[in-house]
Amino acid sequence: MSGTPATPSEALPETPPEIPLPIPAPGSEGGPTPLNPPVVSTAAPPSTGAVGRRRVPRAHSLATHLRATALLLVLTLLVSGFAYPAFVTAVAQVLEPETANGSLLHYPNGTVAGSALIAQNTSAPYLFWSRPSLTDYNTTLGADTPPGPTDPALAQLLNETLNYTREYGNFTVNASIPFWFVGPSASSIDPDLTPESILVQIPRVSEASNLSISFLTSFVNAHIQTSILPYVGVAYVDVLRLDLALLPLEGR
Amino acid sequence: MALELQSFWDVVVLLGLALAIAPWFGAYLGRVYMDRPLPGDAVLTRIESGIYRILGTSPRRSMPAREYMLALLLVNGGMLLFLFFFFFDQANLPLNPTLVPNMSWDLAFHSAASFTTNTDFTHFTNESQISFGSIVLAWQLALFLSAATGLAVMAAMIRGFVRKDGTIGNFYVDIVRTIVRVLLPISVVGALVFVLLGVPETWTATVVAHPLTGGTQTIYLGPVASYNAITLLGTNGGGWYSANMASPLANPSAVSDLFAIFIMLLIPFAAPFAFAQIIRRRGEAWPFVGTVLIVLVIAFGLFVAFQAVNNPALASVSGLGPQTNGYPVGQETRFSLPEASLFQVVSVYGNVGANNMAIGSISPVSQMVLLFGMFTQSTPGGEGTGFAMLLMFAVLAIFVGGLMVGRTPEYLGKKIETAHIKWAALALLIHPATILLPFVVAVAGGYVQIDGATLPATAHNFTSVLYEFTSESANNGSALSTSAFNDTTPFFNVTGALVMLIGRFVPIWAMLKVGDLFSKQEALPPSTGTLRTASGTFTIYLTLFLIITSALLFLPVLAMGPLAQIVGGA
Repeated sequence: MSGTPATPSEALPETPPEIPLPIPAPGSEGGPTPLNPPVVSTAAPPSTGAVGRRRVPRAHSLATHLRATALLLVLTLLVSGFAYPAFVTAVAQVLEPETANGSLLHYPNGTVAGSALIAQNTSAPYLFWSRPSLTDYNTTLGADTPPGPTDPALAQLLNETLNYTREYGNFTVNASIPFWFVGPSASSIDPDLTPESILVQIPRVSEASNLSISFLTSFVNAHIQTSILPYVGVAYVDVLRLDLALLPLEGR
Repeated sequence: MALELQSFWDVVVLLGLALAIAPWFGAYLGRVYMDRPLPGDAVLTRIESGIYRILGTSPRRSMPAREYMLALLLVNGGMLLFLFFFFFDQANLPLNPTLVPNMSWDLAFHSAASFTTNTDFTHFTNESQISFGSIVLAWQLALFLSAATGLAVMAAMIRGFVRKDGTIGNFYVDIVRTIVRVLLPISVVGALVFVLLGVPETWTATVVAHPLTGGTQTIYLGPVASYNAITLLGTNGGGWYSANMASPLANPSAVSDLFAIFIMLLIPFAAPFAFAQIIRRRGEAWPFVGTVLIVLVIAFGLFVAFQAVNNPALASVSGLGPQTNGYPVGQETRFSLPEASLFQVVSVYGNVGANNMAIGSISPVSQMVLLFGMFTQSTPGGEGTGFAMLLMFAVLAIFVGGLMVGRTPEYLGKKIETAHIKWAALALLIHPATILLPFVVAVAGGYVQIDGATLPATAHNFTSVLYEFTSESANNGSALSTSAFNDTTPFFNVTGALVMLIGRFVPIWAMLKVGDLFSKQEALPPSTGTLRTASGTFTIYLTLFLIITSALLFLPVLAMGPLAQIVGGA
């Protein structure tokens, strides 16, 4: 380390007292080290300050190790399994009860309609459709992964979704279908869609309800969400929030 | 879609922030492991002394490597047994409101090994196969203890550089101090931030919803925010939901995604500075920070670049709009491409293994980028063990470099001898051994099946199996694809569990052994023949050494999987 300003000035005062070893270091190079070398009882560990006044404890026996292990596991379990989640839950329920309970959305009569953070099957003509789901929005099935990028099954899956969407979606002829509207998501319950994937559905919703295209366009635009921080995230629409707001307007 | 430059601003600012606090937090970490005065001592020291008294140990009792390893194996073995029996009998144990059945013995073994080794690779569907109690009581214990074990190993190995008495610390004290001073306080704050960003935190397990088009939908809830915080901070990477951090409940917005990246980077970025604090040479942190940053930035750049191009395999799908974001298949709407990509790269390179996208659907080059991060295991790698592995690479690099230029191979005044190299090489070589041997057995033995039929040997199937064992051996936990082949068979459960256990504890023993060897050596004063390690030259050399070593070890198998996929497109 010649010529290197290696020692930081701030750390200098903390240099622990160097304890000279009374006898050479234990164990020869490469040779087996005894489990509890006798040197330990004579050479104090250098890290603590109050060396010398109190006697250094003796090496742990196997019984001590077993006892310490069992107690450490129990203590950690009490913290990790009870104290920690219970404390955070208690604070969270006071701090932000709505999101802490799953961002639930309700019907006017109070019944739970769903969560703003979970997509559900909304493929009725008078509703805006969610992103397709490989698990059919069944949360108990978890998430299913789409076929690999070079797998022919992927193109086949997209073609099928595309054909279904074209057949029942009542889109304007020749409208190109946004990729996000037919591509499967990672979670299988992605609750959001890009604004263009919502806007392309307006002709169908307009025909199935009594609402005009211009009204629906401004309605959708009012529901586009952006991030709370600038330059973060993308613009998107939460489909369930949108549909729940749409229902009373349609008189349903 | 052309990537707009402004969509990179947030991830660049985030990386800068994580780097900016790393020296401060690293110094804090170093003081934790050297028993120096810290903020909060007035209360916490008393709590810690109480715990030591209950455990029957004392910080003044420093252990030699063998005893340290014994304590480590006892604690981890006890945890493994506890988890195994909990999962095996979870139907009858407390907190099972969703009436989940017991796990089979092989699945319970795989899961217990997976959580104990900080891997958190799951062969089950969380929503239907693991009970609420199994997650909160059993799994969450491993989230804390496996992370603390990794940091303890790092601290013990580093202590070898500053000790001469043949001891490397007290394992129990390291665990207690890691949990009390690092994991628990940061997790509490992190969990509350996650709650503010929209993540659920409740003891209600399920809510039944009535969707607009009829039927019912079960909404799975729980203390997800507190789970998220420790799973990311501890580089565990398991998910409350099977969609992991792609699940909108666990990761509701781009802001929560960025916050998750920040938490994942906290300890890995701080580790080199903790090292510098312990050895009291501040300059020695930078070669490691530099190496990690160079590898991470290159990986991120490649990942984004190849995610942003259109997938040629989808050119045949007609009537589709432009593939904005390159590969939107398996991506979530709410993240921009750089945000989603940085999360995925940091998660895999930091051996967290959390996913916020379906990585089985990303471009083949991006898949290879992720595989490479698990080959190095150290840029920045898992909690504690990642940095310890980087130190192993440094020991090897200094030895090889010393031979090339005829200098004495020594590091921080301690001579690197045959024994050090043997142990460092063991830690390095156990990795390809535990990946390639089971890979060959699985493929050649016809174990790669789906619905009872053996899969054709396509490049993508090769990649999936290779990724499975690489993820397990590196204690990473990300899965390429849950549907590529059936990995819940007894063969993959048992083999996978063994791969994870060997891939975890053999390198840990080697790391402790190297720390042990150093702890018995006197530090020599620097001479003219000493290689200067706190230098840009050494940084570049270490980076190249690490990349070339990892690439050479795995090139043949890459050629069969991802490279063939890139070239042949099948």
